[in-house]
Amino acid sequence: MKATTFRIAALLVLATIMQVFLMPRLSILHVSPDAIAVLVGFTAISSGRNTSMLTGFLGGMLTGLLSGQIGLLMLAGTGGGLMAGLFQIPEESHATRNVKTRRFFLASTLCSFTSHAIMAIGSNPLALSPAYRILVMGTIAAIFALLLAIAVRFLFMKKSFAD
Amino acid sequence: MKKFFGFFFRNNSLLLLAVLSAISLIFMKMEEADVIRRISTTGTGFRSAIADKIASYGYLINLKSENDRLLETNLSLVAKILSAEDSLRNEADRLRIISSKAEGLKPFIIARVVDRQFSNRENMLLIDGGRSRGIGTDMTVMTPRGLVGRVVAVSEHYAKVMPLIHADFKASVVSSESGTMGVLAWNGGREDMATVDHVPISSSLKPGEKMLTTNFSTFAVPGLPVGQVVSVTQGTLFSTVIIRLAVDFSSLNHVVVVPLNRDPEKIRLLEGKTESETDR
Repeated sequence: MKATTFRIAALLVLATIMQVFLMPRLSILHVSPDAIAVLVGFTAISSGRNTSMLTGFLGGMLTGLLSGQIGLLMLAGTGGGLMAGLFQIPEESHATRNVKTRRFFLASTLCSFTSHAIMAIGSNPLALSPAYRILVMGTIAAIFALLLAIAVRFLFMKKSFAD
Repeated sequence: MKKFFGFFFRNNSLLLLAVLSAISLIFMKMEEADVIRRISTTGTGFRSAIADKIASYGYLINLKSENDRLLETNLSLVAKILSAEDSLRNEADRLRIISSKAEGLKPFIIARVVDRQFSNRENMLLIDGGRSRGIGTDMTVMTPRGLVGRVVAVSEHYAKVMPLIHADFKASVVSSESGTMGVLAWNGGREDMATVDHVPISSSLKPGEKMLTTNFSTFAVPGLPVGQVVSVTQGTLFSTVIIRLAVDFSSLNHVVVVPLNRDPEKIRLLEGKTESETDR
């Protein structure tokens, strides 16, 4: 339990640093990939809804500390964690590697879309229409999260999804 | 009692959601509070320091283009000096220069842009000058080409700048030729275009005219170039004026921060305090 908590905390710090300094350089149409959403997706399937909400909340807090809008980012992270928690895999389940992978992708994608939608409702620095911000940019954010989750899954998490 | 705790035990996810959401909402409500602002400023300082380190590597790689840019800036300054000397020969121009209080604008603070965010979540510039160099909130940020924005947050060594291509940015502008006034606003879309609102249809504003900041503004230095009118479309009461911005935000490396040149009496009046009220 302690080791898992420590690992998630370390990954959260790493994801936040990536989110603030690296991801904005990869943005398309003013949307950048959400590294924290991928981590929240992973915690949702491995540790459950409560952990994913807490991870999203703390991720939002750390990002907010570095970039402002702390409250809104915390709310967006919590909302993302809640939605990602829908794909939780119970400990006693016999989910196969494919099921776990699929759920990880869906959790990351939905988390990114939800947190992006909450951010879009709460702040509009580029003066874009609400529908565009939520639907178009939210979809781009979700696709980004899916691609990032695929990359993470096949590059760094080969053993994490054992049957 | 058992039922009460049983409810929370069964619905612990909902309870956690409520607690986390409540904390987030409290933080949102307290965004302007002193403690949160101080935390945020410290975070901005830390982020800027890291971004500065990252940018410095790119800076070394881009020395050639940086030299070209400096050469271009030099040429622009020489052109301005020649133009100013020419203007001084004309009495009317000399009076205009005096009335705009140009002597009160010095000293400028030159700062480097260390990070820039132009996304749906954040739209701002980070510069490597802060309180230690005399930069404060609401100061005008410009380049030799024109207005860039205004300082919104300052840490010890860095400052956050709201660019004029931000939905919340507004500034009073005036046409250099027809004297038409309006309010500069950016309504999204292209980052090299903005609009000037509240221009009456009776105005004689034409495409090609230059728009400058006015001395009405509580932060901007008067007479700074903002952009050039591209089109004027007449509406029912007001014209829709589109201008091409003077500053190219896509290649912004250095900026100049202009110390505040506020008239305290004007600020008091704008805040709705009369002389008798302030005396009390």
